Amino acid sequence: MKRSALAIGLLLFASAASAAEIRSYAVRIEAHPDGSGSVSAVVQIESATPGAIAIPLGFATVADLRMIEGPAGTVLSASAANGQSLVQAVVPGGAPAALTIAFAFTTKDVFLPVAPASGEKSTLPEGSRVLRHAVMNSQPAPIRSYKAEAVFPEGLRAHAVREALPRLRKAEAGPRVLLDDIDGKTGARLQVDRLLQGESASMQVELVPQGRSVAWLIAGLVLSLAYLVYFRDLVARRGQ
Amino acid sequence: MAVQAATLTQDDRLLELLDMEKMTLSSKGREAQGPAERWMRYLGFPGGIGVFLLLYYLPAGAGLSGAAQAGAACFALALVWWVTEPFPTYVTSLALMFLLLVTRTAAPKAIMDVLGMEVIWLNLLAFILSAMLVKTRLAKRMALGLVVRFGHKASWALMAFLLIQMVLAPLIPATAARCVMTLPLMLVVAAIYGSTEEAPNAFGKNLMLLNLICISVLSSMTMTGSSANLIAVGLIQSMGGHRIYYMDWVRVGAPIAIATTLVMWILGQKLLFRIPEAGQVPRLAGGLDVVRKKYSEMGPLSAGERKALVIFGLVLFLWMTDVFHMRWFGVEITAPFAALLGAVIVLFPRWGVLQWAEADIPWHLLIFSAGAYAGGLALDDTGAAEWAVRMLFGGINLKALPFGVAFTFIMAVMMYSHLLTTSKTVRTMIMIPIIITLSKAIGWDPVSLALPAALCIDWVVGLPISGKPNVVLFSTNQYSVMDNFKYGMLTCTIGLLILVGSAATWFHWLGITPAFWAVPQ
Repeated sequence: MKRSALAIGLLLFASAASAAEIRSYAVRIEAHPDGSGSVSAVVQIESATPGAIAIPLGFATVADLRMIEGPAGTVLSASAANGQSLVQAVVPGGAPAALTIAFAFTTKDVFLPVAPASGEKSTLPEGSRVLRHAVMNSQPAPIRSYKAEAVFPEGLRAHAVREALPRLRKAEAGPRVLLDDIDGKTGARLQVDRLLQGESASMQVELVPQGRSVAWLIAGLVLSLAYLVYFRDLVARRGQ
Repeated sequence: MAVQAATLTQDDRLLELLDMEKMTLSSKGREAQGPAERWMRYLGFPGGIGVFLLLYYLPAGAGLSGAAQAGAACFALALVWWVTEPFPTYVTSLALMFLLLVTRTAAPKAIMDVLGMEVIWLNLLAFILSAMLVKTRLAKRMALGLVVRFGHKASWALMAFLLIQMVLAPLIPATAARCVMTLPLMLVVAAIYGSTEEAPNAFGKNLMLLNLICISVLSSMTMTGSSANLIAVGLIQSMGGHRIYYMDWVRVGAPIAIATTLVMWILGQKLLFRIPEAGQVPRLAGGLDVVRKKYSEMGPLSAGERKALVIFGLVLFLWMTDVFHMRWFGVEITAPFAALLGAVIVLFPRWGVLQWAEADIPWHLLIFSAGAYAGGLALDDTGAAEWAVRMLFGGINLKALPFGVAFTFIMAVMMYSHLLTTSKTVRTMIMIPIIITLSKAIGWDPVSLALPAALCIDWVVGLPISGKPNVVLFSTNQYSVMDNFKYGMLTCTIGLLILVGSAATWFHWLGITPAFWAVPQ
C-alpha cells in the first residue's frame, strides 16, 4: 500500500514538473565488489522548458550527485523513496528546448541482498551475487530509448540473466538483456526502445566467481577411466 | 539343409511379424553392427565426457553466461552419447536431465515439467491410437493392400509412402501424429521386405528414413504445415513489414520440398543404402503371391476394424479442421486433445477396442524425448543457442558479399542449425528475427532472406533427437544414429543446393530475391 502510494506520488510529481520528453537515456553502472557502484547517465531531452525536469532513476540511494554536462546554471538534486528515485534538474531560462544533461553519482545498492534469513534455505551457492537494476518511467511522456550498461566487478562473471523486463514486443529482436564486453570488461546491457509512463525496465543478473571447480574434471576423468576398464569387453575379440 | 532351415525360421518370423500381435517398440538397445561401431560405443562414453570438460572449462567470451556454457557442455555430452550409443538413448536423456540440474543450467521444475509438455502428451496418445490400428489388424490390412498395389518392386512401395506423406502433410500439421499413424504400416511393409528389428536391411533403412524426411520436409510445403511456419510468417509481417499469403508460401515451398524428397527417394536406394535386385521383391517365401493370399484371407472388415476406422476418422477430422473449431465449438481442440478424445473412446469399456495393457506405450521413448527437450530448452533459456547464432553471423562481414553468397551462408546456417536444437519453434524464434534484422542492416529486402530461411524450419532430419518423428522412427531399431545422420545431412545438402539454385533463378523471376550476384548498395 505504502509502496504504491509512493509510486503514485512520484508519478504525480513528475507529471506536474514539466512536459519535457526524454528522447534517449543511457546509464552506465560500474559495480564494485563491496556492492556499491559508480553511475553515470546521459539524458537527451526534447521540448524542455525552463523549470524543473524530473528524470527517473533506478536506485534507492544516490550520493555525490554531480553534473557533467548541461546548460549553464542548471541545478541538480536527487530524491529517493522506496527503491525508486528521481533527479530533478532545474533548467534556467534561455536554455534550448533540446538539451543534454549528463550527471554522475554513487550508490550503495547495486546488488540485491541474497543472504537467507535464519532458518531459511539458501537459494544461491556460496559467493554468488545478484546485480539488479530497475527503473520505472515516472514521466508523463514515454522515454523513447533507455539503455543501461552494468560492468561487473573483477573476478565475477554472469551465471544467468534472471530477469529481463519488459518482455520483448512482437516486432522487437531480442534479447532484452545482452551479456557483452564493455570496454574490455564483462557486463550486461539492458535496452528498451520505448518505455511508457508507469512501465518498468529491469535486469537481474546472477554473478558467480570466475573460476570453475575442478570437481567436474576429477569426476569426469575417474568415470572415463572406470568405464574404459570395466567395459573393455565391448571391444574384446571374440573368444577372449 | 541348414540354409533351408534358416530360411524357414526367417519366414516364420516374418509371418509372425505380419500378424503384428507381438509388435512392440522395443526398449532393447540395438546391437552394434561390426567392430567400428563397437569401438565407437566403447570410446563414446569418455568422448562425451571429454567434450563436456572441454566446453565447461573453455574460457568463455563476455557474451556467454555460465549457465549457457554449462548447458552447451551438457548438451554436447548427450549428443555424443546419443550418437555413439554407449548405452540406451533414454539413459543418456536421464543423465542429461541430472546434469542440467547439478550444473545449475536449469531449475528442477523446468526440467521435470518437460514430461508434461504438449508434445510428450501427443506422442503418448498417438501411440494408443497406433496400438488400436495394430490390435484391430487395420494396419495389417492397409499395409498388405499397399504392398499388393505398389509392391511389385520395393522402389514403388517406397514411392507409395512418399505419396501418402505428401497427401497427409497439408492435412495434419502435427508431425508426430502423421508419423505414429503411418508407423504400423511401415513396420509391416518393412517385415514383408525382410527388414526386422533384429536384422534390418537396406529396404528398412530406406523406408524409415524416407518417411522421416517426408514427414518433416513436406511440412514446409504450406505455411500451415507446422506451427513454427506460422510463427515465421508472423515475424516476417511484424518485423519485416511483409505479409506472406498462403499461396506465396506454397509456390516457393512446395516445389523445393517435393523435389528434395524425390531426389532422396532415388539417392537413398541407389547411393546410401543400395537395395540389391533380390531385395526388390517381398522376402516371404512365395513372394507377392503370399502377400495377396494373406490379404484375401483377411476377408471383410471386422467389427473392431470398423470401430477403429470410425475412431481414427474422428481424430483425423479434428486434426484437419482445427481452424474451424472456435467457430463450431467455441474452443479449439488442439492435436493432443483430439488424440485424447480418441484414446478415451478406444479405451472405453465395452465400446472401445483396447485394454490399457494392450496399449503398449513405449515409455523409454517418451523419456528419451523428454531429455532431448529439456536439453534443447536449456540451450534456449540460457541464451546459448542465440549466442552461437550471433557469433556465427557476427564473424562474417555479410555486407561485403554478393547477395548469392550471403544467401547461401545464411541458408546453410538455418538448414544445419537444427542439429543443435530440439524445437522448431525455438529455432524459429531465435533465427528469423536475427535474419530479418541482418537483412535490413545489409540492405536487402527482409523477405528475400527470411522467407527462404523459413522454408528450412521443418527440415529437422539430421539426428534422432532433432524432431518428434525422428524419436519415434529411431525406436524401430531399423537404422543407426549414423545412418540417420548420413541420410539427413544428404537431404539438407540437396535441399540447400535446390534452394540456392532457386534463389538464382525463379525466386528472382518471382521478385522474391534480387539478382544472385547483386551487391549491397
